[in-house]
Amino acid sequence: MRLPIPANTVPASTVPVNIVPAPADTRAGRPLGLAEALHAEWTKTRTIASTGWLLLAVIALTVAVGVAAAAGTSCPSGVTCQVDPAKVSLIGIDLGQAVVAIVAVLAISNEYSTGMIRITLSAMPRRTVVLAAKAAILGALVLAAGSIAVLASVLAGRLILSGHGFTPAHGYELLSLGHGPVLRAAAGSVLYLALIALLSLGVAAAVRDSAVAIGIVLGLLYLFPIVANVVGNAHWHRHLEQIGPMTAGLAIQATTDLNRLPISPWAGLGVLAAWAAAALLVGGLVLRLRDA
Amino acid sequence: MEATIEVSGLRKRFGPVLALDGMSFTVAPGQVTGFVGPNGAGKSTTMRVVLGLDAADEGTALIGGQPYASLRHPLSHVGALLDAAALQPSRSARNHLLWLAHSQGLGAERVDQVVEQAGLGSAIRRKAGGFSLGMRQRLGIAAALLGDPPVLMMDEPFNGMDPEGIVWMRGFLRSLAAQGRAVLVSSHLMSELQDTADHLVVVGRGQVIADTSVAELIAAASGDRVTVRTTARTEATTVLAHAGATIAVTDRDTLIISGMAAEKIVALLGESGLPFSEVSPHRATLEEAYMELTRDAVEFRATAAAGEAAR
Amino acid sequence: MTAGTVTPYRPDQQPGRDGFAQLLRAEWTKFRTVRGWGIGLVVALLVMLGLGLFGAAGSNGSCQSTSGGPTRSGQGCFTAPPVGPGGEAVSDSFYFVRQSLAGNGSVTVRVTSLAGLIPAGNGPGTATKPGLVPWAKAGIIIKASTQPGSAYAAMMVTADHGVRMQDNFTGDTAGQPAAVTAQDPRWLRLTRSGDTITGYDSADGTHWIQVGTVALAGLPPTAQAGLFAASPAYQDISQGLGGGENGTIAPSQDTAVFDHVSLSGASSAGTWSGDYVGADYGSGIGGYHQAGGRFTVTGSGDIAPAVPGQAGGEDLTATTFLVGTFAGLIAVIVVATMFITAEYRRGLIRVTLAASPRRGRVLAAKAIVLGSVAFVTGLVAAAAAVFLGTQLARGRVYVFPVSSLTELRMVVGTAALVAVVAVLALAVGTMLRRSAAAVTVVIVAIVLPYLLGVVSVLPADAADWVLRITPAAAFAVQQAVPQYPQVTALYSPGGGGGGYFPLAPWAGFAVLCGWAALAVALALVLLRRRDV
Repeated sequence: MRLPIPANTVPASTVPVNIVPAPADTRAGRPLGLAEALHAEWTKTRTIASTGWLLLAVIALTVAVGVAAAAGTSCPSGVTCQVDPAKVSLIGIDLGQAVVAIVAVLAISNEYSTGMIRITLSAMPRRTVVLAAKAAILGALVLAAGSIAVLASVLAGRLILSGHGFTPAHGYELLSLGHGPVLRAAAGSVLYLALIALLSLGVAAAVRDSAVAIGIVLGLLYLFPIVANVVGNAHWHRHLEQIGPMTAGLAIQATTDLNRLPISPWAGLGVLAAWAAAALLVGGLVLRLRDA
Repeated sequence: MEATIEVSGLRKRFGPVLALDGMSFTVAPGQVTGFVGPNGAGKSTTMRVVLGLDAADEGTALIGGQPYASLRHPLSHVGALLDAAALQPSRSARNHLLWLAHSQGLGAERVDQVVEQAGLGSAIRRKAGGFSLGMRQRLGIAAALLGDPPVLMMDEPFNGMDPEGIVWMRGFLRSLAAQGRAVLVSSHLMSELQDTADHLVVVGRGQVIADTSVAELIAAASGDRVTVRTTARTEATTVLAHAGATIAVTDRDTLIISGMAAEKIVALLGESGLPFSEVSPHRATLEEAYMELTRDAVEFRATAAAGEAAR
Repeated sequence: MTAGTVTPYRPDQQPGRDGFAQLLRAEWTKFRTVRGWGIGLVVALLVMLGLGLFGAAGSNGSCQSTSGGPTRSGQGCFTAPPVGPGGEAVSDSFYFVRQSLAGNGSVTVRVTSLAGLIPAGNGPGTATKPGLVPWAKAGIIIKASTQPGSAYAAMMVTADHGVRMQDNFTGDTAGQPAAVTAQDPRWLRLTRSGDTITGYDSADGTHWIQVGTVALAGLPPTAQAGLFAASPAYQDISQGLGGGENGTIAPSQDTAVFDHVSLSGASSAGTWSGDYVGADYGSGIGGYHQAGGRFTVTGSGDIAPAVPGQAGGEDLTATTFLVGTFAGLIAVIVVATMFITAEYRRGLIRVTLAASPRRGRVLAAKAIVLGSVAFVTGLVAAAAAVFLGTQLARGRVYVFPVSSLTELRMVVGTAALVAVVAVLALAVGTMLRRSAAAVTVVIVAIVLPYLLGVVSVLPADAADWVLRITPAAAFAVQQAVPQYPQVTALYSPGGGGGGYFPLAPWAGFAVLCGWAALAVALALVLLRRRDV
């Protein structure tokens, strides 16, 4: 005879746990490839609210600075103005690139600061693939946000500048993407933002700490033009502007006075691409060689 | 100054979650008070409110009759270990204690004293980032002792300690209490608290569920069952049932008797000449007592497999 | 294991002294025991020094003289302008029709016309057309000698600024405003009495109004007094794309007609001699013609301070040596932000605030520690950069001289700027609690406005406004040569423009301090109110 155990006692040790086995792994034997890494990185990125807010900030700040600059630029009639309307409307990129750098740096530094990098690298041991997947997702997101930002800036610039004297009567065509140089400036600016993101990702992978990485990236971007500005020697001035990531990269935005640029537009963007590639190379090496 | 912690009517809400819902208790000097409850019951929140780190929506928390913010040299009134991992990894452990000492106007000699008390030794000069869990706990205890406070609050100090460390910690906490200090220890390890704590504050869902001594709690949960082991099971059953006891047979030679004192069982079996090898009053473990007490207050529990509960 | 009656614990320890000093000591211990932060400050110092010297090395002198004379080019050639009595670089080139004046005396003259020639187009060798530059000047002058840079006082009529009394290059006082014409002539008088010279002007020759009086220290007993004409270089420069300049600079000349010339006092018996003062630096254009009592004097050049950015040349100011400040600031911002955000990340902030519950004091102690180390770093770096930069530039390129006080202001001001930015970074880090965002916000607030205002494509008005309102206004403390109203030049913040900022040095610094104070106040409110 067995007396029932009183109904109101639940000894903890006898509570069974319902264990459900995982579905059979049909992909066993095939090493994890880029597709899985991309999927994982995309899921990681879209499930943090801050990514969305930061990308929104890229758009908002780029457009805001462009609007402010356009609003402060006017061309009174009868005077020849030394203004490049496309470059003025796109000046917001100078600020938007800083937020893009934050997004890119956080994409990898947050993993180090929380310790999640160990989970990531044990789930996907091929570290180069991980970095490539991060770069791809990041690049795609920045291209998307950048396109919106650039389009809005050009539109705002067209509306504001045409009211400030930059009209066909004055010799200035209205900003339109059908116009070759303006299309190049706009598309090039979107590419510029994506390359800045890749540059920042590489630096952050190498350095790991988010604050130091941001400092290095912003230093690289902002210091070349500042130092070039004070250097009196024309040769050094020109060379500094040719090799600086921001000074070379932003040559793509010029639509007038192209012969006075230190470097031709696409070559300038190529210089920035070289910087980004170098950063990703160094970052990738550090990621592979160091302990997680 | 009296060494006490008095918490009265604390209420605190984090967004939609009501973390503290009228929490009130007192921690008296000279004993170790265990602070237990399920996950999310409000233990860590209470400790943070006592230290002035979080602001309560209502209620008061006093150290020796004074609010924390008004204490001069707070670390010489309360020593707390909230999170052993709250360290700068690139700073050495000794320097961590050093800046803490400096903030209270103390010096390096005091640091060396607490290092010795906490049993850290030469590891103290290594970077804190390289410490194991157990060493971090000891470092946290050393930090809590810097000001030689009469009140100590520890949030899960047994976490990560190896068996030797647990034994040391138990003895250490008891000796601190024996010195007349008020010691509040929160823990999930019931087995540890059973031998360490004298008094218990059991909390659940932001309120105090029980505030008693350990002995009373165990006694209340023990009930009056007596376990009897005998080879003459059938005969014993007859004799005892005849005498009015309720009997449950759990094993080939084990009976569980309810409703009769152990001495009477011994007397009855002896009179009948029945052999027995064990008559032991059932003593609930603290874990059982706690589980029973907090059953309704548990927020997170694994679900039993369907069918098991029906048995 | 029961409590029973227990005697509460009485500690043997005497609690240490409470007070802010203890808190400071704790925060200093916190800072110095993390090696990475100290290394960060050393990096800041090295980049500040390195980039500043790079700026110095990357300039070689152009040989365009500051008053529009002939240009020679090549490495390391420059003509150093003369130095005035106050130590500043000056232009001192003009045509002087003079007599010696021994002892006290006075010069009086009536000016009936002022006309001139300016370039008609761009490029060398263009024709000239009638016209005057705004500061074309002619009048009377008493000068210590014909040595360029010597002390003087002058009364003059100018093209656009009426009658002026100018002395020792920097002094400038206004007299009657309107321009001189044949129907509306001007009478000018200078009276010397010992070392004091007083200037008067009049519309009719009988009613004289005193314009100003100056004491020229060390004026020799025998000075040169007489008529002069000078016309500064014609400039049509604008800030172009990317901060450069384009435009023309070419010499101009003016011609003035004087009559009723009288020179009283002991002088050599009435023989006038005319020559061009400062021929090495100026264009050398000039001459005079005397017919009866009428003098027609033509001259070119200027008697005024020389400023960087005037001739579009590569002359440096000490500001160039401080260009590394931007790089140093980035490193300091990273360290200062991490000083607070590291505590939030690890949860160490709870230990700190449990040990010191008075949160305002904690923030103040951190600010003082950070500000002090940042100040020292900035001071050493700025002083070394200016000193070494000057050494490096010697003989290679001309560096505008600045007074020791100005140099001190530049160095100490830079150090103070670094310190205040560190405190600003601390405050923003306390508010945001995340290091990447805080670092970016502060760098963008300090460096980007400078970039936009100086280097980029913003039009001049927008750039001016940016450099007045944003924290980057504080870089005005690094301005070496003041802006002179009596000198026409492209005063712009860029390197080519001479490093001029719209606000006065300490006014710009005050703008930064205002931003920092606002940030600290907000950080304090948030720190006190938030749970940790």
